[in-house]
This record gives sequence, structure tokens and C-alpha cells, in this order.
Amino acid sequence: MKHWTENDFEQWLYGLKEQDSHTGTCEECSAELERLTLTRRLAVAEPEIPEEFLAEQRRSIYHRLQNAGRNFAPLRWAVSLAVLLAVVVSLTLPLSKKPTLPLTNDEQLYSDLARIEQTDEPKAIQPLHNLFEE
Amino acid sequence: MMGAVADRLAASLESQASTREFGSWMAAEQKRVFLLCRRMLQDAGEADSATQDTFIKAWRSLNRAESKDLDDPARWLTRIAVNTCLDRLRSRRWQFWRKRPEPEDEQTILQLAPAAGPNAEDKIFAEQIGQRLATALDKLSLRQRAVFALRHYEDRSLADIAGILDLDIGTVKVHLFRAIEKLREELHDLYFRDRVKK
Repeated sequence: MKHWTENDFEQWLYGLKEQDSHTGTCEECSAELERLTLTRRLAVAEPEIPEEFLAEQRRSIYHRLQNAGRNFAPLRWAVSLAVLLAVVVSLTLPLSKKPTLPLTNDEQLYSDLARIEQTDEPKAIQPLHNLFEE
Repeated sequence: MMGAVADRLAASLESQASTREFGSWMAAEQKRVFLLCRRMLQDAGEADSATQDTFIKAWRSLNRAESKDLDDPARWLTRIAVNTCLDRLRSRRWQFWRKRPEPEDEQTILQLAPAAGPNAEDKIFAEQIGQRLATALDKLSLRQRAVFALRHYEDRSLADIAGILDLDIGTVKVHLFRAIEKLREELHDLYFRDRVKK
């Protein structure tokens, strides 16, 4: 049987190929399997991480967990909503503003009403009278 | 009245106990999770944040009733870590201005210890090729990178990887096969350099 190729060995290392009867009997291939296993172990050996770094990381996690319990998420939403509403209202209010009529005071209103009541003819006749006046 | 106080006290004690339990579990898993994040993200600072996010997500999830029955907490945690890293890698795609950290900066955070091996030359070589291989992970797609990292660095079985990434085993094999194809040059130098010399 043929020896395993580099491709075969690589695939075996990564679980894509199983050992077969050849690797069980071939000294050369089984020695290569051992060598590759050792090389891989060397390449993926875990680097040492300083304990202070890990302790600081744990402190940060605890700190974030504590702060997470104290946050006011619903209030945040309420504030955002209030700001949004204020913006919408400030944008729509000037558009819906209607022109206002000049204001008259009560006295003027009453005198106008009294004048209308005292005259027999409707006000609309006045321009016709003006036509015949010299 | 007394009952309510007793209930609050019991809840507080239970909470303290669960915090202590979580703390010791975190300490046991922290290094592994950090290294996995670092290998996936290739940035010690970002891996630090991802590790913190992973444990915070785990804590929140554990506090929800549905997550209390975990048959394999380490695998569950790995899944959270991998997904956190994938999210970060996805968002990184938009950060085109982002600069790769200098290797010297990484060294200030991590003091790489010499790997255990037969001789000094092999150790240095393994370290160099390990760094080269880690850099070459950028060639891979996000899924390929996750599959390769879990297989290469964590030595997880394909079935395990499929469970972590919520993929079927055939898909995992395809991702791994393609990852190996893309890293052919680096893997060749890592495993078969001696053969060439001979």
C-alpha cells in the first residue's frame, strides 16, 4: 500500500481523515504521525498570561455586572422618547399655526352691534346710496 | 413581617453564593476563553473586551430560568465566546480605518512563555510559525476561522464544533477543508519544513 501524502497527514491532523490499516503497519507513516502530533502540540502551546492581567479582567467584569444592575434602561427610553416628541412638536407647531384676526376690545364690539341694530337698512345698501350722492 | 425579612435574607445569601460560584467558574474558564478570543480576533485588547462580554452574557443568561440546566457549561460558554467574536469580526468589516495592532503592543499585554518542547530552536520556530499562522487566519471567512480555531487551538472534535456553531457536521468539514486549503502554505511550513530540509 502507498505511503500517506502530506495532504493525507494534514487532513488526519484536522480530523478530516481517519487512520487506516496502512498507518497501523507502516513504521514510517506512524512515526510521521507521531512527529506531526508533537509539532502541532508545540505550535498551539498556550502562552502564559500574567495573573495580574486576568485579575484586572475579572475586576472589570464584576464592575460591569454591578453597573448593569444599576442602570435605568426604562428611564433612558423615556428620556429619548421625550426628546423625540419635543422635536416633532417643535417641527409641526409652526406649520399648523393659523393666521389670527386683529383683536377688538369688548366696547368696540358692543358699539358696532348697537350701530347695526339702530340702522333700518342692511350695511350692504350703503355703497348703493353712495352712487346717488353728489 | 419576619417571613419577608427571612425571604430577602435567603435570596441575598443565595445571590452571594451564586456570585461566588460564578466567580470561581469564571476564574477556571477565563484563560481559555481569552485565548480563544485572542486567536479569533488577533488583537489582545479586543479579545479582552470580548472575554468580558462573554462572561457578562453568560451571567445574564444564567440568571434567566431557562438557562439553568446546562449539560456542558464549557461548551455553552465557548459558543457564547465564538458568537461574540464573530459579531466583533462582522462589525470590524466596516471599520476600514482600523489599524492592526503592533506586535510589540501585544507583547506588553501578553508575555509569551516559551512553548514546551524538546529544544530551543523548535520552540522559537513553533512560536514564529504559530504567529504566522495566526496572522494568516485573516485569509479565512468568519465561519472558516471559527471552525479552524476550534479545531487547531482547542483540539475539539468536529461533532463538538458542529454543536458549538450550530452547524451540521458536513458543513463543518467543508469549512475546515477550505480553511486548510487557504492556509496550505503556512501549514506546510509548520508541519513539513523538516521533511524539506531532509
